[in-house]
Amino acid sequence: MNDAPRDSETDGSQTPQSNEQLMVEFSRGQTDAFSALFARYKQPLFGFFRRRVADPAQAEELTQETFLAVLRAAARYQQSALFRTYLYAVGFKILRAYRRKAAFRATFLGEQPPGSEPVIDNAIETQALMRQAVGRLERLDREILLLREFEQLSYAEIAGLLGLPLNTVRSRLFRARQALHDLLAAPASHPAAQEFAHSKERL
Amino acid sequence: MNTVIHPVAPEEVMAFLDGELAETEAQAVSAHLDRCAECADLAERFRSTSESLAQWTVPPVPSSLEEAVMNEATYVAAGHVPTRPSLNLRLSMWSWKHWALGGGGVLATALILLAGSSAILFHSNRLAKQRVAYPESATTEAYYQAQATDQPAALEPRQSAVFGAAGALRFPALAQAAKASAERRGGGGGAARAESPAAPAPMIARSVSLSIVVKDFAAARASLDLILARHRGYAAQLTAATQENAPRSLQASLRIPAPELAAALAELKTLGRMQNETQSGEEVTQQHADLAARLQNSRETEERLRAILEQRTGRIEDVLQVEQEIARVRGEIEQMEAEQQALEHRVEFASVDLQLTEEYKAELNPPSASVSNRLHNAFVAGLRNAAETVLGIVLFLEEDGPVLLIWLAILGLPVFLLVRRYRRVRAKL
Repeated sequence: MNDAPRDSETDGSQTPQSNEQLMVEFSRGQTDAFSALFARYKQPLFGFFRRRVADPAQAEELTQETFLAVLRAAARYQQSALFRTYLYAVGFKILRAYRRKAAFRATFLGEQPPGSEPVIDNAIETQALMRQAVGRLERLDREILLLREFEQLSYAEIAGLLGLPLNTVRSRLFRARQALHDLLAAPASHPAAQEFAHSKERL
Repeated sequence: MNTVIHPVAPEEVMAFLDGELAETEAQAVSAHLDRCAECADLAERFRSTSESLAQWTVPPVPSSLEEAVMNEATYVAAGHVPTRPSLNLRLSMWSWKHWALGGGGVLATALILLAGSSAILFHSNRLAKQRVAYPESATTEAYYQAQATDQPAALEPRQSAVFGAAGALRFPALAQAAKASAERRGGGGGAARAESPAAPAPMIARSVSLSIVVKDFAAARASLDLILARHRGYAAQLTAATQENAPRSLQASLRIPAPELAAALAELKTLGRMQNETQSGEEVTQQHADLAARLQNSRETEERLRAILEQRTGRIEDVLQVEQEIARVRGEIEQMEAEQQALEHRVEFASVDLQLTEEYKAELNPPSASVSNRLHNAFVAGLRNAAETVLGIVLFLEEDGPVLLIWLAILGLPVFLLVRRYRRVRAKL
């Protein structure tokens, strides 16, 4: 949630330009326009990958790949689409391609699927726990929940991005939130969940 | 939670918290939340879940990323053409839809090509098979073809019989006339002998070949008969053909008295548009003269032999020998006379080979090929084909099914295991 950019955050002095305007300006050759866009979206996009890909180095690489893809396609950018939706759509494609490739390698070439980062301290453990809890959701439910909670996309944007009907997005989001609440509230036999309960109190 | 009691669905509570409801709906939900503790509790659960999730923070973006991206940005902004991502990357961006579409397209193209090339082959094969399998009348085509070829065959004998009779009817008169002329020559032997060396009028056996295209076939037939009658000619042979979906035609060999030939030809040409004409004349004067000389010799021999028989009396053997000789000479004479007559007939009657062809007009509804019959036959053939196809499939399964099952097990099991493993790994990512 903290990653979500607000247009008024940057360019405090002057009237803030919309993402779409910036993109058009960049396609006309203004590097500054892109650096403004990058400043707005580097953290959200990094978060997007960081929460979905366990390996931090891989997440960084995918973030870079997405920005480069947007850069290269800047000339073909259509102003009809919201830049935010466009960026996440590109990110989503790159993520899917990465997942396919990784799964393929793990299956056919015997490579180990990328694991999660080692648990070092409590803060990171919280994240590991979250990752675990979210990871136990159904895949599509998880994707919808993450897009809503962290990327702060509207239901309609999520529906467009995943190619689902709006009602499906709503009902699946509801289901995912209920399931996640149960997962977090009832730690049951999970030792990590116990610790998570502690850390929650502490925070 | 029961939606029957609550005027607001739980999903709407969630949508309200997400700011996804229209103003009036949002007000209704908000009012309900104030009153209903259960729904307020639900809203609280959503809020707490979101708050818990918000603790899942992400470390700041490494500066190396920023450098790499901004370098590329300045490069692109400077007007350089950005480097295209590698083929590997672009292919890896393909979703299953792209692959399915691409693969399907390639497969469809291959199938169409295959079908196109084999269709012609298959079709001709099938036709050949049908002809062999049901030679009597199973296929419409074969049936109608047979009819079409039978028709003229049936027509021909009848017509030639008619014409033959006509020819025979006319012929005696002509034959008599010819005989009379021959007798005249024979009777006035001296005169003929005196004539022939003095005035060797050329004897020419004429033959004409005509081919004519007519518009109205029936009318042309009628006028052909009229022309023959008017010029005292006859048809030695005549064949008419009426084929299905083809122009009608008539092939006739006519005999026309030589003096009438020119007039008859002119009239024949008025029947229609002339396509082809060939005229030829065979000079038979010499042949005729030879024949006449030999005939004369033989007649003289005969006369002498008769004189011997009358004047002399001798032994019975001698008499018999002379009579035998007379009979032989008589035979020769008669043979030569027949030859002479034939030759003269050729000269007197010119031969005209006539071919009449109707201008072809395609008929919209060929009368003989009835639609209902064709439908019926096609239906029967279709049923038979379907049955054969089903039978073929069953036979194939019986014959090759077990082997296919074995191969499916051998190849399918590893594939199945790999796919399952892939799915599991994919789900974890």
